[in-house]
This record gives sequence, C-alpha cells and structure tokens, in this order.
Amino acid sequence: MSDPDKNQLAAVLQVLKKYNLKGTEELLKKEANLSDDVEQDSDVSNVLTGYKSDGDPEAYETSYLELKRFVENSLDIYKHELGMILYPVLVHMYLELVYNGHTDKAISLMMKFGPEQDVYYQDDLRRLAMVTKRDHMNGNELTDTFKSNQFILRMSRDTYSLLKRHLHDKKASVLLNIVQEHLYFDMYEGVARNKSQIDATSGAVGGEARRQDNKTKVYYGIPKAPDIQILTAPVEDEEETNDQDNPDKPKKKKSKKDPLLSKKTKSDPNAPPADRIPVPDLKDNDKVEKLKALREASKRINLGPDCLPSCCCYTLLNSNYTVCCAEITEDSSMLAVGFNDSVIKVFTLVPQKLKAMKTAEQLLDVNFEADDVLVRMMDERSGETARSLCGHGGPVYSVSFSPDRTLLLSCSEDATIRLWSLQIWACLVVYKGHMFPVWDVKFSPLGYYFASCSYDRTARLWVTDHYQPVKIFAGHFSDVDCIQFHPNSNYIATGSSDRRVCLWDVTTGNHVRLMTGHKQPIHALAFSVCGRYVASAGTDCRVLIWDLSHGHLIAEFSGHEKTIHCLAFSRCGNILVSGGLDCSVKLWNFNKFTEDTNSDDVNISHNPEVKIGEDYLLRTFQTKNSPLINLHFTRRNLMIAVAVFDAVNT
Amino acid sequence: MAKMYDSDLYGTNFSIESMKIIAESIGIGNLQDDAAKELADDISFRLKHIIQDAAKFMNHAKRMKLLQTDVDSALKVRNIEPQYGFHSIEPLPFRFASGGGRELHFIEEKEVDLGDMLSNVNPKAPLETTLRSHWLCIDGVQPTIPENPPPVAKSVQKLESVDPVNKKPMKESSGKPSTGKQKLKNVETVQIKQLATHELSVEQQLYYKEITEACVGSDEIRRGEALQSLSSDPGLHEMLPRMCTFIIEGVRVNVVQNNLALLIYLMRMVKALLDNQSLYLEKYLHELIPSVTTCIVSKQLCMRPELDNHWALRDFASRLMSQICKNFNTSTNNIQTRITRMFTNALHQCDKIPLSSLYGALQGLSELGTEVTRIFILPKIKNIGARIETHLEGNLVSNSDKIASGHIKQLITKITAPIIKTIRNPPDNIDEYKLDYGYLGVALHNAVGKARTQPATVTTTLPSTLSTTSITSVGQTISRSVGIIQQGSTPNRTIIMTQPQRIVQQSPQQKVILMQQRSQPNTSVVHTPTNVVKLVSSPSMQQTKQIATQPKLVVVSNQGGFPSQSAALQTQANIIKQNFISQQPQIQEMQVKQESITDLSQI
Repeated sequence: MSDPDKNQLAAVLQVLKKYNLKGTEELLKKEANLSDDVEQDSDVSNVLTGYKSDGDPEAYETSYLELKRFVENSLDIYKHELGMILYPVLVHMYLELVYNGHTDKAISLMMKFGPEQDVYYQDDLRRLAMVTKRDHMNGNELTDTFKSNQFILRMSRDTYSLLKRHLHDKKASVLLNIVQEHLYFDMYEGVARNKSQIDATSGAVGGEARRQDNKTKVYYGIPKAPDIQILTAPVEDEEETNDQDNPDKPKKKKSKKDPLLSKKTKSDPNAPPADRIPVPDLKDNDKVEKLKALREASKRINLGPDCLPSCCCYTLLNSNYTVCCAEITEDSSMLAVGFNDSVIKVFTLVPQKLKAMKTAEQLLDVNFEADDVLVRMMDERSGETARSLCGHGGPVYSVSFSPDRTLLLSCSEDATIRLWSLQIWACLVVYKGHMFPVWDVKFSPLGYYFASCSYDRTARLWVTDHYQPVKIFAGHFSDVDCIQFHPNSNYIATGSSDRRVCLWDVTTGNHVRLMTGHKQPIHALAFSVCGRYVASAGTDCRVLIWDLSHGHLIAEFSGHEKTIHCLAFSRCGNILVSGGLDCSVKLWNFNKFTEDTNSDDVNISHNPEVKIGEDYLLRTFQTKNSPLINLHFTRRNLMIAVAVFDAVNT
Repeated sequence: MAKMYDSDLYGTNFSIESMKIIAESIGIGNLQDDAAKELADDISFRLKHIIQDAAKFMNHAKRMKLLQTDVDSALKVRNIEPQYGFHSIEPLPFRFASGGGRELHFIEEKEVDLGDMLSNVNPKAPLETTLRSHWLCIDGVQPTIPENPPPVAKSVQKLESVDPVNKKPMKESSGKPSTGKQKLKNVETVQIKQLATHELSVEQQLYYKEITEACVGSDEIRRGEALQSLSSDPGLHEMLPRMCTFIIEGVRVNVVQNNLALLIYLMRMVKALLDNQSLYLEKYLHELIPSVTTCIVSKQLCMRPELDNHWALRDFASRLMSQICKNFNTSTNNIQTRITRMFTNALHQCDKIPLSSLYGALQGLSELGTEVTRIFILPKIKNIGARIETHLEGNLVSNSDKIASGHIKQLITKITAPIIKTIRNPPDNIDEYKLDYGYLGVALHNAVGKARTQPATVTTTLPSTLSTTSITSVGQTISRSVGIIQQGSTPNRTIIMTQPQRIVQQSPQQKVILMQQRSQPNTSVVHTPTNVVKLVSSPSMQQTKQIATQPKLVVVSNQGGFPSQSAALQTQANIIKQNFISQQPQIQEMQVKQESITDLSQI
C-alpha cells in the first residue's frame, strides 16, 4: 500500500473516531491492517486540511534550494526531467506557506524563485502571487486545482529512481510531503527526454497528460456516407420535372453522378460503426441537399502550393468593439454575426434574399402535395438582405447553423443557448443548463446534436428536442473556451483555459484523448478533413497539430503575432488557414505536412519529433486593420474570411 | 514573450494613502494605518481577480481592449451588482494632479447640463453595421486595391530608407506570384543582396508608362484618372523612385524649354504623390524640393512671360511647398526653417534678382503662414516698393517687367493687408503708411481701409488646402497654345527618361547639356542639384576660377567630344536652389564637393 493511500485511510479513521462510529472503525482497521499508531502520523491532518502543516517556515527555502542544487548537479540526461519537479514544488510550497499564515516567507520565496521558472509558467505564477492570505484561497480556481488534483509529471524510470533515492536520502519532510501528496509520476521505460521535448508538452495547468489518458482506441476515420443511391432515382425524377425547360441537363447529371457516388464505397478501417450513435433518419430534403453538395464538390479545385486559393473577405464596418462572432453556412449562402449588444444578425451572401414563412392563414392555401412545398410556403415579398434576431440578454459569443440551414444556435453571456428558426425568424427553444456564460456552441455535422461549453468548466452535449443536456463532459480545470465536433460526430474536442485539448467520446461521455502543449488559453479548433488530425490555436499565437491516433503533438506552426481566433481546413484537406487579431491570414501547406509525417514510427509511448512550421507556411495576407473572426471554405474551395474593421486604431 | 522581472510577479497594490483618501470621500475621517493596509491588500486582490476575469470576456469578444462591459460581466459572474452607468467606447484618460505633497490620478468627470440634454431632441444614432466584400487574394496573390493594406507599410518603407542594410529580401510568401520552383532540400541557400532593389514587373512598367504618359499628355480626362491613381493607389512605393526621377528630370528640361504646361502637369503629379497616404515620401524630398523650388522662383517659366499665366504655377508650387513643410517638417530635418531661409535670402537681394523670382519668393514665403509673412516680408516692403516703382511708374520699361511689378504689388497688398490691419491701430494715416511702406503705402492704406470696413469677408486667411482647379484651367488653356509652339520649334517630346544622355538645342548661341548621372536613381542618397548647365564659350582659365569660388557647382563633362567646356550657372533659380542645397546636412555638401572634384579630374 502506498503512503498516500495509508494516509487517506488514517484520515477516514480519524473522521470515524470523531463521530464516534466505533463499529465501522474497528472493521476498517481490521480490513486495512492498520495499527493504532498510524493515526498519530502528522500527515493525516494534511489530507484533511489540504495544506495544514506544522513545518518550520524557514525550512521551505532551504529545502527548495537543496532540491534545485540536486537538479543542477545531476547528469545532463536526467537534468531536464528532474527540473520539471521544481515548478510544482514551488507552487505547493508557496500555497502551504500562505495557508499557514507565513505570507512574508511565501512572498520572499516566490520573488526569489518565481522568475526563474519556465516562461510559460509565469502567467500562472503571477495569478498565484495574487493569493497572499488563506481566505484568498477560498474558491480560487487555480489554487483549488492545485489542491485537489495531482500535478502530473512524465518521467523515465531511471530519472524517477534517481529522484526517489534523493528524497529518501535527504528526508526533507516538507519536500517529501509535497511529492507524496501533490505530484503524480507517470513512468515510462526508455531514455529521459531533453529540454525541447519536455517544453513541447508541458505548460498545462495540471501538468502533462498521463499515458493512461490516451490509451483508448479512437475511431477517427470518416464512415461511408449513408446510402443516398437508393433515393437517387426518385430525386432525379423530381429534378427532371423541375428542369424541364432545358432537357439535356438531367442527362448530364446522371452520367456525372454515378462515379461520384461510387467513389466513397471503400470504408475506412478507423471509422466508427455506422450505428455507434443514434442519428435521425435523413429526410428527402436532406438527401437532395447532400446530392447538391456532392455535385458542387466535384467542381472543386484541389489546392496546393501551385494552386493557391482565392479569398473573398467580408469586412464588417461600423462595428468597432461590437462584434463577437461570425459563422458561415456550409453552403456559404448566409453569414450570421453575434453582437456585443445581444443581437444576432443574419446576412445573405448570395442573390437569394432571406424570406420568412407565410402566416398561418396563408399557409392553409398552400398545396401540401406539391413537390416544391418548401418553396411555396415562403413569402416571396418578405425577402431581405439582412435580418436581426433579438432575445439574448448579453453578448452573443458564438453562433452555429444547422446543416440544413433552417436552424441557428447561439450562446451568450446570459448563460443560455437559444435555437432560432431561420424560416419564421424567431426563437424556438431556450436551453438553460449552464450556470455561467456559454462561450461556444456548435451543431453536429449530422444535425440534431449540438455541443456547448462554458465558463463553468464543463462542456455539454444536447439534442435539439430535449431541453436538458444528454451528456456533461467535466474534467477541465478552467473555462472551456471552444468546442468542435469530429467530422464523424462521434467525438467532441474541447479547448480550455487550462491549456489542454481534450477529446470526448459522445457515447460514453469519457475523455479519450488529453493533449497538453499549449501555453495559453485555446480559442480555435479544427479537425482535418481525414479526421485524424486536430489543429488548435489560441492566445499563444501558435497552431498546434495533434495526431488523434495516439494523442501526440506532431507539429507547431508559429508565425502569428496575436491571438488566433479562427482555423479552417480547405475542403480538399490540403491547406490549413489561420487568422486572428494580428489582421493576417496565414496559409499552411497541410498536405506536405501529412506526407512528411511518417505514421509508422508513431506509437503510444514514443513521442514523435515536433515539426516546426516555417517550411509549411505558404502565404501571409494582411488585412487593412481588420482582425479576422472567421475563416471558411466554400464547397468549391474558395476561401471566405470575415473581418471586423477597426476604425479606432487607423 | 515578454521578459519577466521580479517586480512583475507582485505588481502594484493600492497604497495606504489611496485607501485613506477613498475613506475620506465617504466620510470616514481617521482610518487607522493597519486597517488601511488590510483594506488595501484585500481590495487589490479582489480587483486583480475581477480584472483577470474581465480579460476572459474580452478575449471571447475577440478584442484586445478591455471595456467597461467586460468588468460588468466579470462582476455579474461573481454575483456582484455591476457598476451601472459606466459605458464609454472611448478610453477615459487619467488626469494627474499634485498639490500639498499629494499626487493623484483621477478621471475627469464632466458635469452634464440636463437642460442641454433635454433640449437636444435625439442623440445621434450609431451607424448600422454593414458588410463589404473585397478580394483579399486572387489565386494566392494579393491585389493592391485600396481595401487591402499597402504591400509595404509606411513604417517598413521608412526603415528601409533609414537603414538599407537591414532591408530583408522579399520573401516568396509576400504575395508575389511564385516562380513555380520549389526549394530543394538539403541545399544550402545563400542570400545574395540584389543590386537593383527596385525591379519593376512588366505590369508595373506598363503602369508607369501609362501613368506618365497620361500625366503629361494632352487628354485632361485621362490625366485626372492618372492623378487619382497616383494619389490613392497603395502599391506605388516600388515605382516611387522612378516617378520622382521623372518629375525632377521633367522639371529640369522644361524649365530650360520654358514649357509652362508641362511644368504644371509635373507639379500636379507632385501633389498627387503628396496626397497618397501609403507612400513614405521623406526619402525623395531632397529631389522634389529643388524641383518645386524651381517652379516657384525660376526667372522664366514660359515662352512669353507677358502673356502666359506662369503666376498660377508659382502660386500652386508655393502651396505645394507649404504642404511639404506641413507634412514633413520635423525637429531634425528643419525643412520649414531651411525653406524659409532660402526664400528670405532671395528677398535680401531683391534689387538683383529678376522680378518673377521675387514674386515667387514672396509667394513662397506667404504660403508658410502669417507669422512668416509678418517677420520676413513686412520689413522688406519698402525696398520692394522702391524696386517696382521704377517699373510701374517709369517710362523706360519693358512690358513684362510692368506686368510682373503689377503682380507683386497685388500680391503684397493681398498678403500683408490683413496683418497690417492687426498690428496697426486705426485711424490709418496715409502719410504714416507712406513713411513706413514707401511706394506701396498708398495701396496698402487702401487695402487696410477696405479690410477694416468689411472685416468678415475680406480677412483673407492663407489658403491652407491645395486645390487644383485653378491650375487645371490654366494648364488647359496653355497646353493648346504651347502645343502649337512646340510643333514649330522642336518636333519631339521634351521629356524622355530612358536615354542616358540628352542634348537639347535651344538656340544656336547657347548649348544645354543634360546628363543623367544616375542609372539607378533610387539608390543614391545624394542629389546633385544642377545637372543643367549652360555652355558658354569662355576660356578654360575662367572656368577654373569660377569653380574655385563656387565649389558647389557641378561641372558635367560630356564624353561626346565637345572640345572645351566651361560651366556656369546663370539662372537665378539655380542660385536659389544652391542656397537651399547649401543648407542641407554637411554630408550632402561633402558629397557634392567630392563629385565636383571627380568631375574636374575628367577635364
């Protein structure tokens, strides 16, 4: 039995004793093989109070110095892995000192050793430094995280035994307590890592990810598209009747369609079974839409370094500091913009105007048997180029269109998610579940499901016809800032202010991948078209690429100068674009990157080399003082950027 | 990432004094020191915490500036009542006040008059958000349209001109079409600094040709479009050295040719370039200012000084000069001071310089502001009056001198009357005026009297903005007549940039040689001020003497085989230009001297 377990049992015993539960106490003692003297152990109270310690405040600095000296004097190969321990030890020493009322000692410790920690920890250290009294620790997000979670360190077995020997030799109780209570060592066999390898994956609030976290198999493949062939015949009939005025057109389509549909017959070995998640049946309308999309996709230009995309930039004017988010429909026909003053505006990007449905009385006159009933029920005269949706009570932080473009989701600072109809232009449902501002909401690529994430550190999965969430994904240590559905809808990725990217299984609600490496909050996520990679970016101005098969960090594209807020893959998957507050759009050659990445040498315990992105940067385009808030590719691979013109700074 | 310092970790806390002042403001008179300390610590912690949270709201609104609403949201999340009524898009500046040993930073709160608010019917509604689309890039190339930023930002252009060594070679990713060649792996790439840093693409060459032709051509509509393009297009910086060379060479040739219309067109090009916000023009001022100066003070700018309105060109160029002063004057380059000194030097020799140059100098000074006019022109009025009196009143006068004197008189009355009005108290005594201002006293007396009777309308403030309308019409009327003259005398266009040497024959007695010394106009920092030299047949002994006395003269030798050449500057304009150049930094003068020495060795 390890020491922490023993302590916990002892603590439980103490509680039993306190409430005079003799019988249970006896039983537990017998079962756990504990003798009475254990409970006299001074560690016991530590478990109960978190940081209660009788330790001499003078001892902290000396023991930290001793540890530091040990790290510095150790062999070069172990030095860096051993060095990882310094930061969590400093943090816990500081918190222990503060908790026990030795504020001056704590501050001097922090002033002395804080600045020499790695740069990516400085932000957290500064936040910790704000805490100088015991009551400051009450409800403080960061100190709570440190108190109730073990800081995870990945170490080679050799390094760990070296450290263990040192701790046993020294018998520094302060240090030993911290190591036992607050640190978790995830051991692996093999050579100790070097500094750059460590730096690549450290930086998250709770330390690195355990190997255990990334062991589950992830079905990252894209399943075969549901059979639309069955329906092709009737659909085509329908279309033929529609296009009777040019009779040779349908024939053309028919010849084109067949190879199109047969292309996707080969199934991906990594794809999830089709019935893994329940999905509502496709409506006829959806199938027509799918065919249209396929046909459009066949006209797509495959991008590459020799065939760069064109980009149409939509700039929002007169919108200084009022626009929070923007989103474009999959078919690039509409643009929704969420404002600071709780309004949502929908713009049309095509000549077709935004029409509203007819009134109930008028609808009675519509022939429901007609093939074009969906067209007939709309009021022709109500067309407008922009419409507003009002209802929220705070800034709208994200909007998302349903795949069939009839619904729009929005989330706001008022802690609600709203579902809007884009046919009657009114709010349909208010989903109240989150207790705090909702940062992001996304429709599943299949529709019906949607996911949201919030200030309350959870992400939630919803279905449109239930007013309560069907799954709650908890585990992040801080705000969940962004969320994204995997293209096969079986997984959800979240990015958080605790600097971790997490992949959750929709069916079980468990996290299946935990990826650390970001040094600042994450604000954008995008899955590659093949489904294997996920790109994330945020305040640390870097785009990181993760391989979902094992959860490894495989590339780091840096070049932006300010927060990145949007990421998008071209429809062919060859190009990744990123844009952000530095008013620039960067094009990365993702195709070359995947070719360079040899998938064979990757296994679960071996971290591959992190590729640096300079070779992959294709182009940078600057906008005129307009921070980018959304990037999108049309079905034919035209890039669309949405920017907000910043008139104040010009 | 910024470097961390010890002090960063703990930042600043509220001082005990702040706590006491705040306590005083809510009626707690004597707050104990330790209580204030406790409060300060606690409030600092809470405020930092709230600001930290507010930053989250700022980040999610995709902003970089913390607004009051973010703080409100952060308070709301903590279940604290937000601070209602503090909404402002503009940042509130902190004021600083000190007194009685205390230093305070505070936000100025203006008193709002409710009556005013009630009487104002409706506050201005904010503008509606609109959507505007443009091409950010087309097939990977960013078009240089006004919606896109200029390819090389002004600050970068500045950096390049200040420190050319630092200039980074244009990366492939900067938006130019790729050559299709991919870099090979494992090959060491060596960057070789290009000699010609401003290679123009075929399109740019075409553009340059189009623009320059349109600017000096006869089609006024096309010229308008070309000038519009010059004044608004963002991607011109690569062509800027060429444009400047075009202008200065054009001025050089056409001053000698007395081709007024073309000079006007070239000045309009200068104005268009000045108006273009994306250009860093500082680099070329040393070339442009002498050209503009020439157009202000040259002895003769047109074929028939008595008929053509070269005054308009002088006025227009003067306004350009004042715009240059206004835009580019800094404490290090002292442009305004140097230009003022140059014109003033001309005024000092007002008995010697031609009347047209005198007019130009006066106009140039008057455009620089009333203060300049008051200090430099007013004391000279008597002298000038004496000079023009002989031309206006005397009998043995040429017609052109009479016209020039008339213009000077008119100009002086126009610019000085409002100033005299302010410095002299009524009643105006005509005898006093005569005493103070000599010949012009009567005219000024009348003008001041007139100004006093109708103060609102007559007080002429100096034109601050440049308008091309007047000059356009002048240019139009002249272009036709000049065109005819041109056809008679010289069959071909006078502005030709491509030929390295050009000899223009003006009259059989005088030969004018023009040499382009710089094959790459952009790279040379030094401007050789006078390449236009008139050749007069004079013994070589004399020539060396001249050079000895005037070291700044540039002797240009022509390899073409003119047997003996001597150079001298004759036009007054050039003397004045020299004055300007001599005031430029020492370095430049040195270079000029050096150049003249090398030229001498060739002889």
